[in-house]
Amino acid sequence: MTASIDAGLEPVKAVSRVELAFTRLRKIPSAYFAFWVVCLICLLAILSALGVPLSPYSFDQATDDLLVGPSLKHLMGTDELGRDLFARVIYGSRLSIAIGFVTAGVAFLLGTTYGAISGYCGGKIDTLLMRGVDIAYSLPDLLVMILVGVLVGKGTFGILFALGLVSWMGTARLVRAQLLQLKEEEFVEAAKASGQDGFTIVMKHLLPNAMGPIIVALTFTVPSAILSESTLSFIGLGLSAPECSWGTLASDGWRSLRSYPHLLGFPSLFIFMTVLSFNCLGDGLRDVLDPRTRLFKG
Amino acid sequence: MLALLIKRMLTSIPVLLVVATLTFFLMRAVPGGPFDADKNLPPAIVANLNAKYQLDKPVAQQYVIYLSRLAKGDLGISYKYINRTVSDILSEAIPVSVQLGFTALLLAVIIGVPLGTLAAVNRGSWLDVTAMFISTAGISVPGFVIGAFLIFIFGIWLKVLPVALWESPWHMILPSLTLAFSPAAYLARLTRASVLEVLEKDWVRTARSKGLSHWATVLKHTLRNALVPVVTVLGPLTAILITGSFVVEYLYAIPGMGRFFVTAVTNRDYDLIMGTTLVFAAILIVTNAIVDVAYQVLDPRMKVEG
Repeated sequence: MTASIDAGLEPVKAVSRVELAFTRLRKIPSAYFAFWVVCLICLLAILSALGVPLSPYSFDQATDDLLVGPSLKHLMGTDELGRDLFARVIYGSRLSIAIGFVTAGVAFLLGTTYGAISGYCGGKIDTLLMRGVDIAYSLPDLLVMILVGVLVGKGTFGILFALGLVSWMGTARLVRAQLLQLKEEEFVEAAKASGQDGFTIVMKHLLPNAMGPIIVALTFTVPSAILSESTLSFIGLGLSAPECSWGTLASDGWRSLRSYPHLLGFPSLFIFMTVLSFNCLGDGLRDVLDPRTRLFKG
Repeated sequence: MLALLIKRMLTSIPVLLVVATLTFFLMRAVPGGPFDADKNLPPAIVANLNAKYQLDKPVAQQYVIYLSRLAKGDLGISYKYINRTVSDILSEAIPVSVQLGFTALLLAVIIGVPLGTLAAVNRGSWLDVTAMFISTAGISVPGFVIGAFLIFIFGIWLKVLPVALWESPWHMILPSLTLAFSPAAYLARLTRASVLEVLEKDWVRTARSKGLSHWATVLKHTLRNALVPVVTVLGPLTAILITGSFVVEYLYAIPGMGRFFVTAVTNRDYDLIMGTTLVFAAILIVTNAIVDVAYQVLDPRMKVEG
């Protein structure tokens, strides 16, 4: 009997949520293209962090060609010490990309915890926690970052501290809003009735359902952290030599813009391409994972 | 409306006090003082300087001294710009930054809103695709790249516009454009999304079926409603323009607040940091209050509780 029933049905393949999202993402050309650009840039950063030689020169190796423009020998030209700019830009991706992802990680951990507590507890705790975020959120990010980052100390730690401090609040608000909505659903009531404690309900039932919007928000956190780092480094309040990020390279290039525009141009191009790709990917992911809040239609 | 404004102004005093307190203790909590950079000063002179500016007293006492001076309207003096008071510096810097900020805001609205509207009305056309690509690119470019690009094209290559200082209207063109670029892109995206949403409403269909012309429908029935979210972001946007001006003032050597703030933070010029931070906070409060009033004008149904 069973065999005859099965014969009439198409075999249904189980599709995971990730697979489903990816299939939908493929249908948005700009986002799909951006996805691969992001992968490529991250791959470059990882390989460079692992010490794989991606360029014939090392990032701090002085050659005899001082301040030459782009050529076959030096794809992006060289700086005033004869260091190959291509090698330096590739090396710089390490720090820029890492800062973007670490900031997103901090935003995820801090923001989700804070937002989950606020949203799940509700009531007075929620009002208190969110009032704090509202005040801090209304301050301009760059102002806070300059104040905190410079005072904590220049360097990678200082800038990560400053970026982390401003970036988690958006995630916290988002998670709180999601949880406030989700906790009224029936499956939460069922979980409560079956005797599960608050922590389990948040971790197993609420957060997994809120993951879509969170991932979208984090996709936008990475490029904004990269932009902030490069901007701070550019005005001399972020990283500085001997650290090497796209921001410090651009900052060095700015001083000789008049005669050697390539020194500013190439690092800027990499910042732009990376941030643009993340933004396009984020727009695409929003359509795929979080259709209710999308900014773009059609 | 007047009551709302007065209430807003009164509640802003505790907010300013919180900002002042946080900034004050944050500054003192970290190592380094205003006279550390002058390496050649003998310790006795540094001690004398600290005593003169009352920096040798306990932090809590310094805080009380600062607040009592602040209550009298005295913002203190700069430790780095010799013989200049903070009020003196600020009174020169604020008009520059406000001019720059508002010119940029105006440019951003003039460019962004029509671009977004055109894109939405011609949805799916090449105009839409181009406008949206430009605006996505626009929010992805760091301000310093736009600035450097404009300086290179107009200042170095074509040599038609001045690229530094803040003297004639000609000096304002490049900095304002630089500052306006990404807000314009952002506004275009926002306006497009908002207009698209309103275009689907019933009253727009009604207006169309009454035989109203295309542009009358768009301008009178769609845009006014679609602009509510746009007005909402103008408050934060003004804040972005003020903070964005750190970079622009650095690029174009403009003597505005952003520049003084950045040098003050680097120099640990305590009173100047406090002064600029408080002015930034005050500007934020005022713009947010203006936005709340603007809401009620645009959409009288909205009741804003101060």
